[in-house]
Amino acid sequence: MAKIKGLACKECGREYPIEPIHVCEFCFGPLEVVYDYEEIKKNISREKIEKGPKSLWRYIDLLPVENATVGLSAGFTPLIKAENLGKELGLKNLYIKDDSVNHPTLSFKDRVVAVALSKAKEFGFDTAACASTGNLANSVSALASSSGMKCFVFIPSNLETNKIIGSLVFDPVVVAVDGNYDDVNRLSSEIANEFGWAFVNINVRPYYSEGSKTLAFEVAEQLGWKSPDAVVAPLASGSLYTKIWKGFNELKEVGLINDKPPRMYGAQASGCSPIYEAFKEGRDWIKPVKPDTIAKSIAIGNPADGPYAVKVAKESKGDMEIATNEEIIEGIKLLAKTEGIFTETAGGTTIAVLKKFAEKGVFNPEEIIVAYVTGNGYKTMEVLEGHLKSPIHIKPSLHEFKEKVIGQTVKG
Amino acid sequence: MNSMKLKLIYPEEKIKEPILSKLCKTFDVDINIRKANVQENIGWLELELIGTEEEIEKAMDWLIKQGIEVSPLEGQVFTE
Repeated sequence: MAKIKGLACKECGREYPIEPIHVCEFCFGPLEVVYDYEEIKKNISREKIEKGPKSLWRYIDLLPVENATVGLSAGFTPLIKAENLGKELGLKNLYIKDDSVNHPTLSFKDRVVAVALSKAKEFGFDTAACASTGNLANSVSALASSSGMKCFVFIPSNLETNKIIGSLVFDPVVVAVDGNYDDVNRLSSEIANEFGWAFVNINVRPYYSEGSKTLAFEVAEQLGWKSPDAVVAPLASGSLYTKIWKGFNELKEVGLINDKPPRMYGAQASGCSPIYEAFKEGRDWIKPVKPDTIAKSIAIGNPADGPYAVKVAKESKGDMEIATNEEIIEGIKLLAKTEGIFTETAGGTTIAVLKKFAEKGVFNPEEIIVAYVTGNGYKTMEVLEGHLKSPIHIKPSLHEFKEKVIGQTVKG
Repeated sequence: MNSMKLKLIYPEEKIKEPILSKLCKTFDVDINIRKANVQENIGWLELELIGTEEEIEKAMDWLIKQGIEVSPLEGQVFTE
């Protein structure tokens, strides 16, 4: 029997078959994959998962894919007990889920793209596409090339080419559109409607977004099949955050964990915080904003899953917070200094917000807290320019070394 | 005929203007509103714009020039 029942509209519940569609034809609500949990229950077990591949595909029974063909090494990233950062924040059981080392392109996007393109291949697509200049483009380009798919990446034309070298190396067709990000968005949407391509966060979005659930599955398994008490995750479109919640709920539903799903804490940058604002103002709709933040990887001014993220924060008894550019940089430095992990600005936002919540006393010190670090700092090193210590310059002389280095560092 | 699913967001100062009515008189497009929330200080609409590719693009450009925020229904497709 099939593990998937079909797609259903998140707004009106209308059902659709498993096809490359993403919007309800009636109410325009987003479509989501619906599973037959009774059927899955019969086939899934902790032992079966533990014997599975060392990648996100060990959870294939809870993913909308029949045959994993793309991104076979994605996922299964470390969950690190953050003793030093925990001490600093007064948390005895703090963990970092470290997707800064996700394979192959060092961000959580390899999870969602692995699922999206595996599904796209099942649908018979031979071309992958996305609109992005960052982590998503890196991942789509890399996974399309390794799986023999053609690849198109759309960007605004005023962008410096060095920003996209990390994608260009995989040899996609990069289309530089005369216009701003909004123009690229509209054009992408038109192209997705017209061409038979797998546009990862448009027509295969219902499948794509399911990949983020593996961030919950892995954490639960790595904790010894239990749910943490609380998690802190970045909010961009709101998709990752809501799917982590869905992931923990599914594990409970199929009997793999017994405890209740975690309280969900969301992190946004203060220069782009439309979900946080809706949550704080008690709105169930999102007022779009023009992003102005260094946290580019989470700067989505009109987040598609924002209303659902607001709902999850309420339902899970969680909360949301924001971080300024300065706090984000301090967050990056704090994680690096205490745990030896170099994350990018989204991770810096998450750590900054974790710190704020810890200082407010939101967490009980004994609780198990997981902070999701979703990307790698080596990709966006420029944000740290001027915020780090300079080298100590000396002549090649032992005397000067003792005076300027040992003297200073011992005194300092 | 092509169609485009859009979300339109009106700033406060535009709420009193009959923008969609003007749109249909100026361009050869039909609109089909599916969801809307219009209040005294903000309004948004989700609708389908139906017409030829050229007319849809002209209509979208015109809406943007009127100060309306026009985004595809997918939300912000662009990430990063």
